[in-house]
Amino acid sequence: MGALLMIFRSRTGQSRIFKGVLSGLLLTVFLPILPSLALAQEQQEIVCIQCHSGLEEKYSQPVKLWRSSIHAVNGIACNACHGGDPKDMANAMNPARGFLGVPGEKDIPAFCGRCHVGVTKDYLSSAHGLALGKGGPTCVTCHGSHLVRKVSLELISEKYCTQCHNFERAKLIKDAMLETELLIVAIDGRIEGFKNQGTDTGKLEQSLFAVRNRFHTLFHDVDVEKVKKESTQINGELKKIDNVLQGLDDARRKRKIAGACAVAGALLAGLLFHLLRKTYA
Amino acid sequence: MENDGRRNFLGICLGGLATLAAAAVSFPVFRYLAPRSSKVTNGKVTILEKDMPEGEAKFFEFAGSSAVLVRKRGGELTALSAVCTHLGCIVQWEKDKQDFLCPCHAGRFTPEGVVISGPPPKALTKIPFVVTNGTITVG
Amino acid sequence: MKPLKYLYDWIDVRIGARDIVEKELTGYLLPRNINVWYSMGSILLVIFSLQVLTGILLLIHFVPDADKAFTSVSNITNNVPFGWLIHTCHAVGSNMMVLVLLLHMLSVLFMGSYKRPRELNWLTGFTLFTLVQGICLTGYLLPWSQLSFWATTVATNSVNAIPVVGSFLVEFLRGGKLVGPATLGRFFALHVAVIPVAIAALVGAHLFLLQRTGVSTPPFGIKDSSNPWKGDTYRYEEHPGGIPFFPNYMLDDLRSISIYLACFLGVVFFAPHVFFPATAFLPANPYLTPAHIKPEWYFLANYQTLKIFPSEIIGLAIQGAAMTFLALLPFIDRGAEKHPLKRPVFMVCAIGGLLLWIGLTIWGHYS
Repeated sequence: MGALLMIFRSRTGQSRIFKGVLSGLLLTVFLPILPSLALAQEQQEIVCIQCHSGLEEKYSQPVKLWRSSIHAVNGIACNACHGGDPKDMANAMNPARGFLGVPGEKDIPAFCGRCHVGVTKDYLSSAHGLALGKGGPTCVTCHGSHLVRKVSLELISEKYCTQCHNFERAKLIKDAMLETELLIVAIDGRIEGFKNQGTDTGKLEQSLFAVRNRFHTLFHDVDVEKVKKESTQINGELKKIDNVLQGLDDARRKRKIAGACAVAGALLAGLLFHLLRKTYA
Repeated sequence: MENDGRRNFLGICLGGLATLAAAAVSFPVFRYLAPRSSKVTNGKVTILEKDMPEGEAKFFEFAGSSAVLVRKRGGELTALSAVCTHLGCIVQWEKDKQDFLCPCHAGRFTPEGVVISGPPPKALTKIPFVVTNGTITVG
Repeated sequence: MKPLKYLYDWIDVRIGARDIVEKELTGYLLPRNINVWYSMGSILLVIFSLQVLTGILLLIHFVPDADKAFTSVSNITNNVPFGWLIHTCHAVGSNMMVLVLLLHMLSVLFMGSYKRPRELNWLTGFTLFTLVQGICLTGYLLPWSQLSFWATTVATNSVNAIPVVGSFLVEFLRGGKLVGPATLGRFFALHVAVIPVAIAALVGAHLFLLQRTGVSTPPFGIKDSSNPWKGDTYRYEEHPGGIPFFPNYMLDDLRSISIYLACFLGVVFFAPHVFFPATAFLPANPYLTPAHIKPEWYFLANYQTLKIFPSEIIGLAIQGAAMTFLALLPFIDRGAEKHPLKRPVFMVCAIGGLLLWIGLTIWGHYS
């Protein structure tokens, strides 16, 4: 660009002054609205994470695991379960501020159950819950503690179940749940697709969440007959959601057809204008 | 003169196309601006007053969703949407505590639907109802 | 046809309509070697009109309140009949406006039409370009989505790099320390009132200048016998024996506009989501920065420039210098030659600059 500047030197002093004034003017006018961008600042972390991230493996691991958990996605941070003060470094782990630390094995269901009340109730009345403290599984045996993920049927697997007993009984339940689970996963994917394209899926998400939740509590009962009985009803609920999605799909298809007509119309108009133009050659 | 005929023909075609285009634009704009008819849902639910003892709640389907009618100790009636405002689970009536509990994430509501504790962002929606001659009509 | 003719006569007797038609339409002659690039201005007029119309329609249901903006837009696209169509047209239209504006400017650059006596056309046009960028930037915030919130945060933040007054300017732009309800208020006012009026006024000035100076002759093909500028006195650039604007070139314009509309509608109906990442449909959350927040495609080069340089002030200064250089191009590039192939230095710079811009845009997209 410099070369260009030298070749096209301004010829008169007058225009040089003009140029100077104008460039000054333009700079002040344009700079504020110059659409230049910088990186956003990092969000301020709570003190638990600030401190624990720098500690040895045993204490920093939970932070790392939590980061990819569903709790992290939904903004449920350390203090939501462990209590304490996430804003005050000195009192972060002060029991007076509600700090709880690590629950003992027997206290785990109650620890999680402060939020997950429904499943806790089901669990406590199941064979799993009745064996609590007698070698039976707690919540974290299957769900893990910090890396809690959105549950899928994959959780019922040899890896987890055979920690305590053989897989056969568990497999019966898994098979009974499989069809409905696949339906839920498929509907979930479709809702996600619509959501990412701007459809207001709030209601659908809520319905699906409720159905999924009701379905997943079935598992905590560990009762095959109950699974089979309730699945029919749950499938009916899912069918309702599916119908709404079907309606959305139909609307999309209609819009595409209308769009094709509109594009064809515009192209036809272009062609006609072109032909008309040729008569005036 | 050959041009004149052609121009006339093309002119008519373009005129027709323009009319179509005008209609295709006007229709959406008209629909966009037209006042929307308020949905008339006639799905009323009737419940007998004698089926509603004090301190009990009755769940039923209303307008394609779950609703609950509750009679507090003292006799006051309330009709509410039973869908938790947090993530959409159906709340449960805790008779001993006389409040609603959402089993999914422990949201608690008063019998009037106001949030007591937990993650729900707002109160349960109230549903209007009338009581005539021992019959409660919701909706 | 009788009543129409009667009406025309009735008007003509009163305001001399035939005179105007004779002078500005049928008698308005354009160079015989005029080409399709001369239609870009007409297309832009159509786009701007469509933006104003769809904008007014959106205004009916939009609520410029930080608590309600997102739901009101979501209501438009989900519940209001054909709201999705009007909303998509407005959003896609803004991108198309920038695209066609760039094409318009490139054609003016390569055909040397910015050269004297048309410096003022270039200056008004360049100012229009920055105003269009401004209207895009302010409009981007209004849906109050994660995308708009964070793109605006990042965009306004860069002003921080200006020495001394930077931090004050950022706060002034945002109406507060951070992007928030105050920002929405002022961006809304800018987007629906201030900038559109400024654009309309400048478009008027741009057209007035075009009308006074006359249409430039393309540097290609036959030599058009005109009334070239000599710098001594005002002269209108005539094109005797040229093509009448009405009906001939108007039909050319209408053909170009139809083809543009076909492309535009194609995007609106079949690929609207090229302009909408998923974050555009999440409500703004000041406590959660989404990953990979990127500005719109036409700001990617600016974004990347800022990232390349170790200090933001250098990046900003370079952009300011480039913008100023472009704005003042007619006063810097003062040769009379307009044919691109006879301007090798210009060609090297222009193509180099264009490739640099494209390269930075692609780099910005993938970085």
